[in-house]
Amino acid sequence: MRLIFTAAALAAVPLASLAQDNDPVAQAIEARHGFYQMLAINMGTLSGMAKGDVAYDEATASRAAANIEALTRYDLPSLFIEGSSSADAQDSAARPAIWSDPDDFAAKFDGLRQAAADAPDAVKGGAENVGPAVQKLGGACKACHDDYREKS
Amino acid sequence: MRGPVREVRLWDPLLRAFHWLLAFFVIAAWGLGQFGPAKMTLHFWCGYVVAGLLGFRLVWGFFGPAPARFSHFIRGPGAIAGYMRGMFLREPSYWPGHNPMGALSVIAMLAVLAAQVTTGLISDPDDYINVGPLASYVSGATRSKAVGWHNLGATLILILVLLHVAVILFYRFWKREDLVRPMITGRKQVREE
Repeated sequence: MRLIFTAAALAAVPLASLAQDNDPVAQAIEARHGFYQMLAINMGTLSGMAKGDVAYDEATASRAAANIEALTRYDLPSLFIEGSSSADAQDSAARPAIWSDPDDFAAKFDGLRQAAADAPDAVKGGAENVGPAVQKLGGACKACHDDYREKS
Repeated sequence: MRGPVREVRLWDPLLRAFHWLLAFFVIAAWGLGQFGPAKMTLHFWCGYVVAGLLGFRLVWGFFGPAPARFSHFIRGPGAIAGYMRGMFLREPSYWPGHNPMGALSVIAMLAVLAAQVTTGLISDPDDYINVGPLASYVSGATRSKAVGWHNLGATLILILVLLHVAVILFYRFWKREDLVRPMITGRKQVREE
């Protein structure tokens, strides 16, 4: 009897994750988190160099900035689909305000796009050039987080 | 029997300096937080000054002159209720220091500001430019939550400051007692027991 329950429970695991995989809301949230994770990895590289925690390397810095620039050409706001706000989904940090003012939210993301546009070149030529680029990018992060990111 | 009213030296110079410096740096920090540049270096420095001022006030609350001491002005529910009964009388309180209700406001203000400094120090708003200097000592979830608490704290501070100013105006125009001047000159009309 116990064996049957165990077997049934184990069999249900892939089914449960399959259901998750087919849910567009869960997919969108997971994709968003992946997107921010990629941003974070590259921002981490740049801010580490700006603070002097990591030794400056022009190629590494420029690659990180180019990755960020490439990410900003993805249409991120299209991942903020109906039903994926923090009010609707447990693992979402996206404030409902995004859906009440989608134009402003898109403008905030455009702010990041503009900040990233010249970053791959801006971070070249020395460690002292990384700080200003990080400030520009970080300012765009902040502008959006202030209004649209849940703080808990 | 109520004793005679006379002018005494009430607030010592350091306490007055503390009060006005705290007012200045809290307002500056608040304004910079809401409307300042994205890179919040100045806001951070205002926060450090506020932390230092709070440290001074804590020491002064135990070792300062009598009117500055917590033991002198923190009173029980009985004294608070007693003070409230006369609160709306259209006459000056002539109270020699923080009155029992004002004491609650003092404690609330100091507690909220101490909490605000703490949450600020451990905040990480994930923007790579404004990381609190102690954020690396707490968990990732706490760093993120601290930003929310810090925002809530800013609202509480605004409410407490507006309440403080409203009560000062109430004393000035309803009770006809100027509480601002004593905080500048140190001298206040008080009724002797």
